[in-house]
Amino acid sequence: MTKIKTTRFGEIEVSESDIIVMKGCILGFDYLKRYILLIQNENTPLWWLQAVDDPAIAFVVVNPRTVKPDYNPTVFDEDLEFLGIESSDDIALLSIVTVRLQPFRVTANIKAPILINAANRLGKQIVLEDPGYPIQYEVLIKKEDFSADLSPCGTDRLSLTAVPR
Amino acid sequence: MLILTRKLGETIAIGDDIKITILDLGGKQLRIGIEAPRNVAVHRGEIYRIIQEQNVQAAANDIQLPDVWERLTGK
Repeated sequence: MTKIKTTRFGEIEVSESDIIVMKGCILGFDYLKRYILLIQNENTPLWWLQAVDDPAIAFVVVNPRTVKPDYNPTVFDEDLEFLGIESSDDIALLSIVTVRLQPFRVTANIKAPILINAANRLGKQIVLEDPGYPIQYEVLIKKEDFSADLSPCGTDRLSLTAVPR
Repeated sequence: MLILTRKLGETIAIGDDIKITILDLGGKQLRIGIEAPRNVAVHRGEIYRIIQEQNVQAAANDIQLPDVWERLTGK
């Protein structure tokens, strides 16, 4: 276990084997390579992708199929090879969510998801060619529609660290 | 940077697998056809800047996630 500092949750203890390393970058954040997935409330599909080396940087992320159930992008072979992904079972995808409060609007970037090799936790933000997947996809979720049975896009293979509400 | 002059319909080859064709010239716009293997990513140059800006906006959040979830789901 190792301790990391965060501005939102204070000091938290995480397992080093849960750390995701961006072998490629999150665009604009090339200098931050290590992240940890945090869950603040077990009943929500929205998680935090917290930078290990900058307490202030954390992205809200979501399994893209939670916001678009038919999401089924074509991932380029070069991206799979770059992360050493040998089996489609090891593909995990996360979308970065932007929350605006005034007015309240939530969008998910399903054009450029974060691809993670669930077997070795190496990641990269990839850019998809599919024209049906925008950078600002409106997130509209009705609680009754959300179910844990949704196809997890490999996110069930990633470890979550719980933080207090 | 290698600079080449090409006429309408002419091509540029990059390696063995990538071919670029000048399809149409008009005003300030140029239509270009790109043939590349499926495993090569081809994007408009500005896409990376737009994604970067979206990431920066996403990171600049000062929110409580459970509250966001409750507003989203209309509770």
